[in-house]
Amino acid sequence: MIDFLNILQETWAVRALLASSLVGIMCGILGCFIVLRNMSLVGDALAHAILPGVVVAFLLVGYSTLAFFTGSVLAGLLTAVGITWIQHRVNTKNDAAIGIVFTAMFSLGVIGISYISRNQGVHLDLKDFLFGNVLGVADTDLLLTGLVTLYVILSVVVFYRYLFVSTFQPVVAETMGIPVRLIHYFLMLLLSFAVVASLQTVGVILVVAMLITPAATALLLSDKMEKVIVISAGMGLLSAVVGLLLAIILNTTPGPAIAVTATSFYLMVVLFAPKKGLFAKAVRRRQLKLRIDREDILKALYRSAQKGHAVNAELRDKLDISLLNWQRGIKQLRRHKWLQTDSLKLTNQGVEAARRLVRAHRLWETYLATEVGLDKEQIHLDAERHEHLLPEAILSAVDEKLGYPQLDPHGSPIPRSIGKPAFPLSKIKVGETAILSADQDGAYVSARLWEEKIMAGTQLRVTNRNDSLLELDYEGRTVSLALQLADQINVVPQGTFVAEA
Amino acid sequence: MSTSTVMTIEDLSVSYERKRVLSNIYLRIEGGHVYGILGPNGAGKSTLFKAILGLIEVSAGDIKVNKLPIEAQRKEVVYVPQKTDVDWNFPATVLDVVLMGRYPHKKVFSRLSSADRAKANAAMEELDITALAKRQIGELSGGQQQRVFLARALCQEADIFLLDEPFVGVDITTEEKIVQVLKRLASEGKTLLVVHHDLSTVTTYFDQVVLLNQRMIAYGPTEHTFTEDNIAKTYSGQLPILHQMGVIDGK
Repeated sequence: MIDFLNILQETWAVRALLASSLVGIMCGILGCFIVLRNMSLVGDALAHAILPGVVVAFLLVGYSTLAFFTGSVLAGLLTAVGITWIQHRVNTKNDAAIGIVFTAMFSLGVIGISYISRNQGVHLDLKDFLFGNVLGVADTDLLLTGLVTLYVILSVVVFYRYLFVSTFQPVVAETMGIPVRLIHYFLMLLLSFAVVASLQTVGVILVVAMLITPAATALLLSDKMEKVIVISAGMGLLSAVVGLLLAIILNTTPGPAIAVTATSFYLMVVLFAPKKGLFAKAVRRRQLKLRIDREDILKALYRSAQKGHAVNAELRDKLDISLLNWQRGIKQLRRHKWLQTDSLKLTNQGVEAARRLVRAHRLWETYLATEVGLDKEQIHLDAERHEHLLPEAILSAVDEKLGYPQLDPHGSPIPRSIGKPAFPLSKIKVGETAILSADQDGAYVSARLWEEKIMAGTQLRVTNRNDSLLELDYEGRTVSLALQLADQINVVPQGTFVAEA
Repeated sequence: MSTSTVMTIEDLSVSYERKRVLSNIYLRIEGGHVYGILGPNGAGKSTLFKAILGLIEVSAGDIKVNKLPIEAQRKEVVYVPQKTDVDWNFPATVLDVVLMGRYPHKKVFSRLSSADRAKANAAMEELDITALAKRQIGELSGGQQQRVFLARALCQEADIFLLDEPFVGVDITTEEKIVQVLKRLASEGKTLLVVHHDLSTVTTYFDQVVLLNQRMIAYGPTEHTFTEDNIAKTYSGQLPILHQMGVIDGK
C-alpha cells in the first residue's frame, strides 16, 4: 500500500492518470452520439484505420507527436469518407463497407511499419499501437490530449442542438435546413481526434470500449440526452481512473484493465439500474403478480360472501394460487384493512374495493362484446386480466361511452354506486340551485367538468331532467349531462334533495 | 383567408432504381386549405412529400414554394413524419421534441430563449400534453406521440405543413383534436397537406383532395373531385375491396 501511494507521487503516474481521465471524459461524451447513431462499428473502424496515417507521417516528417496526430486524423477522415461513399454509391451492405475499408487501411499500416523497420532500421512498436502505453505518456502527449478534450467538449456544447436533432431524426433535421451531411463529417473529425488521443491510453483495439461502454451504461440510467452525456462522461472518467489504479496495483496492462472496469460498471447497471435494470424489472413484475393474486383473492372472498358460501381450501384451489401466495395475499389484504383481522370477512373498504374490480371486469366485458364485437365466450379471460390494470378514469370513460349499461353480456349487474359523493348533482330538484364543490372524486369527473367549462365554486341551476339526462343552466348557458355522470359530481346544495328512491 | 398559390409542382417525375414512382405530376396548392393526399399503397404519396422537401433527387420537374426553391423556404415548410419512422427509445422528453420546432429559427451560437419556451408551452397546451412534458417519448400512447409531433410542428410556425399519415394508430379523441388543429391552422391561412388512408373520413376532414396513383388522377375541392369515378380511377385494381368496405357503391 505504501508502495502504491509512493507510485502515485511519481510524475509518470500522475501523467498517466491525467491522460486516461481526459480520454475517459472525451470518449464518454462522443460515445453517446456514436451509440445513438448506430455507429459503434465505425468508431472501431476509425481506430484501426489511422495506422497508415502514422506511417506516412513518420516517413515524411520523422518522429513527431504533432505529425502523428495530423496524419492519423487525416487517415481517420479518409476512412470516414470512404465508408460513407461506399454506403451511398455502391450496392454493398453498410457493415460490409465498414469492414472492407478498415481492414484495408489497417493492413496498409502494418505493411508500412514492417517497411520502416526493414529499410530505415527504426522499430515502431505495433503493440503500443494496439494496446496503448499510458505509462509512457509524455508532456506533449498530455497537452495534445488536453486540447483535444477541450475542443470536443466545446464543440458538443456549441453544436448540441444540431447534433441532437441530426442524431434523433436526420430526415427531419434536413427538412429544417440543418446541414446533416456536414454534421456527420464533423462528428467523424471529432471521433478521429478522440481516437488518436486515446491511442496512448488504451490503444486502437480497446478505444471502442471507451466509446461504447460508458455511453451504453448511461443510456440505461437516464432518458434525457443532456443527462446521458454527463453520466457517460462520468462513467468514462470513473472507468479510466479505477482501471488505471487497478492496473498499477495488480501490475498489469492499463488499457485492458480500463476496458474491463468499464464493462463491470456496465454489467452492474444492467442488473441494478433503477428503471431499466433487470432487477428492477423483475421486482415490478413480481409486484404486479402479487397485486393480481391479492385482488383475485379479494374478489373470490367477496363472491363467496355474496353467495353465502363458506370459505375453505376449495376456494384456493379454484383460484389456482399456492398456499404461500394465498397466505401472503391474506396478510396484504389485512394490511390494506380490506379484510377483518380475525376472520376472512371483508371490511367495508374491502367490499368497496371488490366492487370496483367486479365493475371493471363487467364493464370491460361489455365493452369487448358491444364495441369490439367479440363473442361472449372470448371475453372473460381478457377481462380477468384487465380488471387489475384499467385505471378508474378509463373505466368511467368506457362507462359513459357504453351509455351506462345496467347488465354485462352475461346478464350480471354492473356495480355502479362506487365512490358516490355525499351530495351528488343528480339529487338536486328541478328549479333548485347548487354550488359545484371543489372536491371531486376521481380524475375523470374533474376532466369532464373541465371539458364542459364548469368551474368549482360557481352556481348551477337544474332546469330539466328525464330518465337519462340532467339539464343545467350555468351562467346563461344550457349544459346537459348524463344522469349517471351527475351521480358522481359532488355539489353543495342550496335547496332540497330529491328523496332517495 | 389567403387564396394565393403557395406551391407549384410542374412536370415532376421521380424514379427509384430505374422504376418510375411518379410521372409528370402537375399540382397547384392554394393557401388556407386542408388537402388530403389519397391513393393506394405504392401510389407515391410519401415520395411526393420527399420530393417537395428536397430529400430525394427528382428525374425531372420543378417544385416551387412561395415561388422559390425549397432550400430557400425551409423555415416555411414543416414535415411531420410517420410514427414508424421515429426511434422511440431515444433519450428525448416531450419538451425536448417540441422545442426542436424552434431550431430552424435559431442562429448557430444562440441559445433557446424564454420566448421559444413560451411557444413550446403554448403548443403543448393546445394539444393537451403539458402534463407529459417531462416524459420520455417512448412512454406515451400512440395518440400522445402524434400530439407531440404536431405540437413541434405548431412550434415551428411554418406556413405549410406536410403530415404523413397522422391518423394511423391514434385514439378517437386525438384524431378529433388533430382535425380541430388542422382546421384552425387553415382558417388562419396556413396550408396543410395530409397523406391519408381512410376514405370514409375524407369529406369531413379535407376541403381539397389530391388523388394520386403514380400519375395525377385529379385534384381540387373535395365536393367536385372526390367522386366515385375519380376514386375508381385512383384505386383501380383494388375495387373489389372498396365495394366490400362499402366505400363506393357497387353500381
